[in-house]
Formats: sequence, C-alpha cells, structure tokens
Amino acid sequence: MHSKSTSAFSLASVLAYLGLAIVVAIIGLPLLWMVLASFKESAEIYQIPVTWIPQRPTLMNYPDAWNAVPFATYFRNSIFTTACAAGSKVLLAISCAYALVYVKAPKRLKDVTFLVILTALMVPAQVTIVPNYITMSHLDWVNTYQGIILPNAATAFGTFMLRQYYMGLPHEVIEAAEMDGATHMQRLWLVVVPMAQPAIVTVGIFAVVSEWNDFLWPMIVTNSNDMRTLPIGLFGLFQTEGMQNWGIIMAGTVFVVLPVIVLFIRTQKWIVDGIAAGAVRG
Amino acid sequence: MDQLKSRRQFLRSMAFAGGAALVAACGAAAVVEPTAAPVDPTAAPAEPTSAPAVIAPVASTVDITYWGSFSGALGEAEKTMVDTFNASQSDVKVTLEFQGTYEETAQKLTAAIQAKKTPDVSLMSDVWWFKFYLAGALQPLKDLMAAQQVDASDYADSLINEGTRKGDIHWVPFARSTPLFYYNKDIFAEAGLPDRGPETWAEFAEWAPKLVKMDGSTMARAAFAHPNSASYVAWLFQGVIWQHSGRYSDPDFTIRIQEENGVRAGKFYQDSVLTGKWASNAKDIGADFLGGLTAATIASTGGLAGFEKNATFKVGTAMLPSVDQFGCPTGGAGLGILANLPAEKQQAAMKFIAYASSPETTTTWSQSTGYMPVRKSALASDAMQKFFGERPNFKTAVDQLAKTTPQDSARVFIPGGDLIIGKGLERIMIGGEDVATVWGDVKLTLEETGAPIVAALKAVEG
Amino acid sequence: MTSRQLFQIRETLVFIALVSINVTLLTVFIFYPLGKGIELSLYQWDFISPVQTFVGAKNYVRMWTDRTFWQVMQNTLVYTFFSVISTILCAFGLALLLSLPLRGREFVRGLVFLPTLLSGAAIALVFNYILDGRYGLLQNFLSMVGLKSPEWYTNPQWAMVSIILTVVWKQSGYGAVILIAGMQNIDHTLYEAASIDGAGRWGKLWNVTIPSLAPMLLFVTVTGILGAFQSFEIIKVMTNGGPINATNILVYNLYERGFVAFEAGPAGVLTVVIFVIMLAVTLLQLKIGEKSNAL
Repeated sequence: MHSKSTSAFSLASVLAYLGLAIVVAIIGLPLLWMVLASFKESAEIYQIPVTWIPQRPTLMNYPDAWNAVPFATYFRNSIFTTACAAGSKVLLAISCAYALVYVKAPKRLKDVTFLVILTALMVPAQVTIVPNYITMSHLDWVNTYQGIILPNAATAFGTFMLRQYYMGLPHEVIEAAEMDGATHMQRLWLVVVPMAQPAIVTVGIFAVVSEWNDFLWPMIVTNSNDMRTLPIGLFGLFQTEGMQNWGIIMAGTVFVVLPVIVLFIRTQKWIVDGIAAGAVRG
Repeated sequence: MDQLKSRRQFLRSMAFAGGAALVAACGAAAVVEPTAAPVDPTAAPAEPTSAPAVIAPVASTVDITYWGSFSGALGEAEKTMVDTFNASQSDVKVTLEFQGTYEETAQKLTAAIQAKKTPDVSLMSDVWWFKFYLAGALQPLKDLMAAQQVDASDYADSLINEGTRKGDIHWVPFARSTPLFYYNKDIFAEAGLPDRGPETWAEFAEWAPKLVKMDGSTMARAAFAHPNSASYVAWLFQGVIWQHSGRYSDPDFTIRIQEENGVRAGKFYQDSVLTGKWASNAKDIGADFLGGLTAATIASTGGLAGFEKNATFKVGTAMLPSVDQFGCPTGGAGLGILANLPAEKQQAAMKFIAYASSPETTTTWSQSTGYMPVRKSALASDAMQKFFGERPNFKTAVDQLAKTTPQDSARVFIPGGDLIIGKGLERIMIGGEDVATVWGDVKLTLEETGAPIVAALKAVEG
Repeated sequence: MTSRQLFQIRETLVFIALVSINVTLLTVFIFYPLGKGIELSLYQWDFISPVQTFVGAKNYVRMWTDRTFWQVMQNTLVYTFFSVISTILCAFGLALLLSLPLRGREFVRGLVFLPTLLSGAAIALVFNYILDGRYGLLQNFLSMVGLKSPEWYTNPQWAMVSIILTVVWKQSGYGAVILIAGMQNIDHTLYEAASIDGAGRWGKLWNVTIPSLAPMLLFVTVTGILGAFQSFEIIKVMTNGGPINATNILVYNLYERGFVAFEAGPAGVLTVVIFVIMLAVTLLQLKIGEKSNAL
C-alpha cells in the first residue's frame, strides 16, 4: 500500500487526512469528555444544552472523589501489587518460554508443558474465584498483598506470546552461543532476552495493565480499605454516587486511567512495535 | 496500633495452626463424601477451650470485626456509630470493614464461611440472611440478648419477627427500611395537583397526564419511574401485589404469583408503562427523580436523606397508594452474629449489636439516614417527636412502618428469588409479554430454585 | 552413562527448573479451580451449607431445559459474532488508513491502541455517561442533526449495541496495530507483480493484502473471540445483563448464578460450557494455523 510520493493536495490525501481526523475524534472525544466533565459542577452536567468547556470550571470533584474513598491508600496498593505480579509474570514468561523453545528436554515433556500453558489460557477468571479464595484462606493469606498477588503471579498468555516470538528468532545466533560454551543462563540473559526485548516489553505492559485493571479478584480477597486497589475504589465511588454526580465519578475515573496513559506515552514506541512483532511472528 | 495488629495476627496464626489440619480434613470430607449426613446447624457451637486461655493474658479488650455495606453518607453515619461505641467503653473494640454492596457482602461472607474465616458480626440484607441461617452459619441470639439485658419485646414487631425462626432470634433489625412514595413538589404544584401523595393508584393514574411531559413521541418527563431488576423492582412490586390482594408465595413456599391477583398486579405495572404511558423504566430512579425526569417514584426510606440533600426542588413523601387494600413490605438490612465464635466474642458481638440497635442509637442513626427507628421506645422519645416536627417527610416513613408486613418467602428466602421475579417484571414492562405466561414461567423457576430450600428448611426446622 | 545421556538428564533438569514455578502456580490457581468447577457441576450446593448433594447430570439436564440458558447462549453468539466482526472491520480500516504515508500517523497509531490498555470498568463508566439519553455526549451530537438518542437502556437490541460499541471502541486498536505490522511485512514484489498483471487498487487489496494478512486476521479473530468470552466488567457496569437478560452472556450468567443466586451446580455447568467452547476455538486456531503454516 505504499504509493509513490503523494502530492500534498490530491483528493485522496485530503480524504485520508479527513479519515485520520475522524479516527482521532472517535477515540479522543470520549477521553476528552471524561476529563472535561471532571471539571464541571454537577449543576452544569445536568444542563441542557450540554456544554463542552466547563463554564464555571471547578477542581472540587478531585478532592471530593479522593476523599469519598481512600484513593491514596488504594493507589499505593495498586502500585505495589501491580509491580510484584507483573514483575513475576515477566520473569516467569521469559524463563518458561526459553525452556519450551531452547532447552532440549524430551519432546513429550515439552509438548505436555506447552499444552498445560495453552489450556490455562482458556479458563475465565470468574471460574477460579471461589476455589482460590479457599486456597488463600488455608494459607491465611486473605486480605494480604501475597493473597492479591499470588494467583496472578503466573502467566499463560505471556509464556505463549514469548514462545511464539522466541521461535522466530534466528537460531544460528543461539546455536553459536552454545558452541562457544555459554550456559543456558548466559544464553537466556545475554542472547535471547536482548533480542526479544520488544516482545518482553509488550508482555510486561500487558501484565501491568491487567493487574492494574483487575477487579473481581482483589475485590473478593480484600476485606479492608488498607488492602484494596483502585478499580474497587472506582466501583465503590460509582455505587456511592450512583448516576447522580458524573463530575465526581469522572474525576475518579481519571485517577484510574491517567497512570496507564502516562505509562503508555512513555513506552508507546516499544509497545506498538512489540505487539506487532509478536503477532506477526505468531 | 501496628503492634496490636501483629499480635492479633500472631494469635490468629496460632489458632490457625491448630485448626488447619481440621479445616483441611473437613474440606476434603465434604468433597469426598458429599452425601454425608447433614451437620445439625442448630447445634450449639463447640465451646473453644484453648482460645480464651491464649487470649486472656493479653488484654481485657475483646476485638471484634464487623462487616458493613454502607458507603457515602450512610457509610459516614455507620462509621460514626462504630467510633462512638468504641469510645464509650473499653471492653469491646469493633473494627468496621466495608465490604461493598449487599451483594458483594453476601459473596464475601459466603467465601469467608467456606474458608472458615468469618467476621464476628455482619450486616445482612433481607434477601440473603436466611440462606446463612439455613446453612447454620448464624448464632441464635435469644440467650445472648438476655445476658446483655436487651429487651427483645421493645423492637418493632414486624421487624424483629422477620428474624425470628423457631422461637429464636437470628437477625436483629438495624438498617431497616420500607418503600416510600417520593414526589417532586415543584412539578406537582406546577401541574395544579394537591401537595400530597395519591390515595390510590387509580387517583395517580388520573393525575399522571398532567405530570407527563412529551417531547414529540418520546417522554421527556414521566409521572412515575420504575427501577430495574438489578435495583430490586421486585421489592417495590411486593407492595403492589399485596395491594392487589395477591402475594408472591405462602410461608410454606407455595408459589402464588401466577394467580389471578398476581396477574392483575402485573398487568397494572405493564399498563403503566406500555398503554397508560405514564411510567418509565429508569436506569437509576434516584438520578431520574433528582434530575426531574420523573415527577414521582417509589424508593427506600434509606434514600430520604440523600434526596433531601441533593434535590434542587422540594421533596414530598407519602405512604404507598392503595388498590384493593394497603400493602407495604419492610426491607433493608439487619445484624447477625456468625456461628462458632468463642463465647467471649459472642458476648462482645452482642454488646455491639445491643448498642447499634439501642433506642438512643437507633434514634440518631435513623435521623441521619432515613432508616426506620427499630425500637418502640425510640419512637415515643422526645428527641424523635421533636425531629418529626422538623422533618415531616421522615414522619411519613415512620407512620407507615406500623402498617408494614414482612415479605413473602419467594422473594426473601429463595436465593436469587428477587432477581427471578425482577426479571419477570422486565419481561412484562419492557418486553410487553403476556403477564400470565410470564408469571407461569416465574412460578416454575421459583419452584425449581426453591426446592433445595424447602428441603433444607425441613431438615433444620422440622 | 554416556555423555549423551548425561546431557539429556541435564537438559531435562534445566527444563524442569525453568518451568516449574510457572506450571505449579498455574496448576494451583487455574487448573485446581477449574477441576473444582467441573466437579461442582455434578452437585447441588449453595456454597455455604456443610452438605453437598451429588445429583449426577441433573444440573446439565436442568440447564438444557432452561429457557434463560439458551437465551444466554444465543446472546453470547450474537455478541461474539458482531463484536468480533466489527472489531476486525474497524481494525482493518484503521490499518489501511494508518499504513498510508500521512503526517502524524505514528501519533494516531498510538492513540488508537490506548483504549486497549484502559480499565474495562472505567471505560464502561465513561460510556454510560456518553450514552446518557439526556446529558450524554452522543445525544448532544444527535440533537444537532435533529435525531433522538436510541433507548440504549430499555430496548434489548440497543442495549446489546451499546455493549458492542463500547467493546469495539476499546479493542479495535489492538487489531489495527497487528494488521499494520502485517502489512509492513508484505513483500513489495507481490504488489509490483500484481500491478504488472493489471490489478487495480481493489485487486491488490483482494489478491495480495488480504491473503498475506490471513495469519494476522486469524490471530485477531481468535484473540477477539477469547476476549469477548471474558468481557465481564463492561456488562456489569453498563447493563447488569439486562434488560430482560438481553446482554446476559455466558460469563455474566456464570457470575449471576454463582455469586448472586449461589447455585454452585449450574455455575459449574456454565464453567464446563465456557471451557469447552474456548478449547474448541483454540484447537481450531491451531488446526488452521498449522495448515496455513502460520504458527
């Protein structure tokens, strides 16, 4: 689809830029709407015709939302549990996928392991909640960080994705390292990991995002405010305010969404490349 | 504080070490021998012999955990209540842990019982406390109440009776509510209607055309708004079916909803939306009422404080309209003590419940929330009488309380019964399906879902 | 022991060391619960009483004859079909557009991918507000051209549309990014060859682009289906499965039966149904993938 140099004013390119503008509007407007509403007083939200730019901009929705549920604590908990679970996921995916692709274990063993990974991909989270809660309570880990983290510490998706990516790496390089007498650890960390960086970053981002946004499990396994995470706070805010005060709810939504947006902007280049590369090889 | 917490954790792990093997064994047994004889849930909890010995030298204060479900203004009031209790004495220290909505609290309590790690006291909603009673998860309270010198006969009869099974109390009224008719006084005045609620639904149907505002073919303002199944429409319809001389079911779980009067009541709801075109199905009745999208609605008395605080118009309240007769259910939540606690925790828990439902507390609690005062002596108190003078809307709610009836078994005792009936109402009001057909289906589903409950009830109560 | 055997043993031990933690955690926190769910499908239990009654296939029979179950199955099919098709079409359109040499396309590529990363619950709240029939953003636009917002909430079909819209908005960017990469990898000589054969724009699209993208399209389809099967939060926040069960899909129904009505048996049956469907989809993908050498 790479045409020759496009003349700046051709009809086609005008249409293409128009299309681009529409795409930006469709994706961007809901997010903009969310942010703008978070600066509106509730009287303005229930005003017809609807206003775009807040006429009497207020910052009050933010402290109101922040105080309605203990968001500061939730933030801390979200950051900590996300970092641990995502870190664990990335490490396990890197090593497990390496074993599946580059370690010369008996084929049957490898096949069975891969099948285990693949099957685990297909179990919806709702299924695992109650049995996992019971397991956690036997360990006396209900309402603890390890209770929130552990069931999310392993990864089938990340392992699967990295396996696909590793398989596409040039075998000669790894074989050469083996010839030079590099151990598995050296081959993994010095050869494979640097080459697979985009895919690893992608797996990391997905892990971070899925932890950060996880809702059902942290809700069930935590009992007290000092352990809860952000999405639960947001849902609690929604329950409290109902559909009566969109300004406060949108402010709470910004709390949850903003860190992900910032993270995304900082890692954007890697993510888009990594995902694409992972899938193209897959 | 931290020290205290770690100490508690240490004690818990001590107890756990002993119990772990047992827990594991029980869990395994339940799985391997599912047909094993039912454990008698009414059996008195075993007196734990070791726990007091471990705890005694540590402190004289008994720590108990209380699971609550209130957020927002209600949550504030609940927290104040607990803090005041903790400050007022040093024998018991209550830790309030907010668990989410009623549904979420039920989910977590279920999981906690599975894990044998329950709180000591929990708020329990009208539609699911019974399930925990049947499973033997609730402590019978009569003796504990007597020990704490709580006068059970001072509780409002219709409320305390709901939590009484086989002569013992299992569920103490706390945040109890009733449906209340709310109307927008400004809209009523503008429509030239009297400043009061309708005596009958027929009267309201006459008023309705003056309240409805059309914008082309769509209704810009409804006269009345119905909630959806997820927001307990089946609770509000409980009153309506009684008003039509019908009922959901008998106490013995014989389903009656499909009978003539039930169909008549369903038809009334259907007509209000589809042929009469004066009622809407709201996503959130509170938002619609406050936003002026409906002139009136019926919602819990627990919403009163919030409505009065947030409305930009004058809020009026009235008793529910009648049809053949008056009908209004109780609702809301009560407090229960979980079974199998050490004796001193039971006493401590009862002490807290006694405080939470005492005439003084129930007075302040109901004044700040809109929930019903649960004690007869509280109603008669000067503080209450004075408050009635200041807040006539609140008086309506309390006056109505005397005329309420405990709900039918099909909604509150069959797990998910509320949702089954509520979804039937959606088929009737939104789908426009034939009422008799829908109630026929609902009856079958209720019977099927209720069968295990009937069996369990027989085993528990004989 | 030969050095060959020694090498084998060493490799096997390394393998086990590297996979053991992951596999153990997956076993404890995914397979054990799955097994438990399957087991519960054979029992009548309310999740709390000390007794679980073995009822054999009764729960399966009950679901088979249950009107709601079939409605839920139908909803799931409709929802999955339309959300996946729309997502792929949008993703494909986006990919075509964003492959053009336009200024700012890098920024837009990033922007379209962003919603994939955001919390489902948060997005659902935002869309709840956007679709509000009176104060929402959409109504604001519609009223400019004299239209009324559909009854997203009381009309069963529109309720489903609102869910699909939200999911497509959230997920299209993911597919687009994958398809863009696929397009960049297409061998340019294929297009040149097509030009020589006299193919026009459409001819190239049809004969070169789409066939070359087949593996990526398959990947996007399958991840889309698996994702659709797990979308829970958006439905929980936006519709609660209503009205009249119109947006009640399998995972939501599982939640409702398990966590609202506390019927372990039917919830177990749904576990089995969901698992079997997802297994079938994945196996199908592997089968097709093998055939087209995509994997």
